[in-house]
Amino acid sequence: MADADVEMSSADNAAAAQTSTKAPIPVRSVEGWIVLVTNVHEEAGEEDLNDLFAEYGEVQNLHLNLDRRTGYVKGYALAEYSTREEALDAIEGINGKKLLDQTVSADWAFVRPADGARGAANGSGRGRGGRGTTGGRRQRSTSPGKAEGGEE
Amino acid sequence: MSANEQFYIRYYSGHSGRFGHEFLEFDFKVVPGGCALARYANNSNYRNDSLIRKEMFVSTLMIKEIKRIIKESEIMKEDDAKWPQKNKDGRQELEIRLGNEHISFETAKIGSLVDIQESQDPEGLRVFYYLVQDLKALVFSLIGLHFKIKPI
Repeated sequence: MADADVEMSSADNAAAAQTSTKAPIPVRSVEGWIVLVTNVHEEAGEEDLNDLFAEYGEVQNLHLNLDRRTGYVKGYALAEYSTREEALDAIEGINGKKLLDQTVSADWAFVRPADGARGAANGSGRGRGGRGTTGGRRQRSTSPGKAEGGEE
Repeated sequence: MSANEQFYIRYYSGHSGRFGHEFLEFDFKVVPGGCALARYANNSNYRNDSLIRKEMFVSTLMIKEIKRIIKESEIMKEDDAKWPQKNKDGRQELEIRLGNEHISFETAKIGSLVDIQESQDPEGLRVFYYLVQDLKALVFSLIGLHFKIKPI
């Protein structure tokens, strides 16, 4: 499981620590990286989405769910790429782009909280210590330099 | 503002019978840092299938899309007072906290559109029915892509 995760480099961490909010970290799914696109036009077809996604890499899987009531596209699409680079390119390339006259948004579908990364660093799992314990965890506002630097 | 509003959603559908307690349940809970913990459980004893439990974190954009789907359904305006009571065939529960609004609905399982038509609040029950269908489709896509299992 550990290889499924991509840790932020310490440089990234330092940068993230300077802004007060730490961005969640993308995580890999079992067979690849999943990109979410929203504000998809209700009359878009799989072909439109495939054309959009294929620009950044081979799409391994595409989910374009329909509104159960109207039968039109619900408004979001999920695409799977084999590599993180393809998925990242797709997110950066597609976010803010126009598709059938609507400006779409794109981002990772699956992430884990930045705080969980620290929990994972202590053990070997994927951030198990990071969830469900809103109570006893240390405050997130520890001093940036120390918290993110060469701890342990 | 809308990015910071409270959000929680839980759906349960289940019954106890010949094959024990069989149910499907999922929830999404926003955690500090912006993303949300999504949990999924499915227990089917039919043909000796067993309990499946999965957890994952989804991105802020995913939550934004779920909120949009909920808002556009206008479920928050409904009331379950006149919906069919849970019965021996089971029950469904839907709980949503969205900003200052909170709903907690309970009703019988809906076998077909006839059940909706013959109820005392067809319009409200229809909103519920289609929203649940759309949410289930979304959750099944997430589970399918992230874990490569076929839910249900």
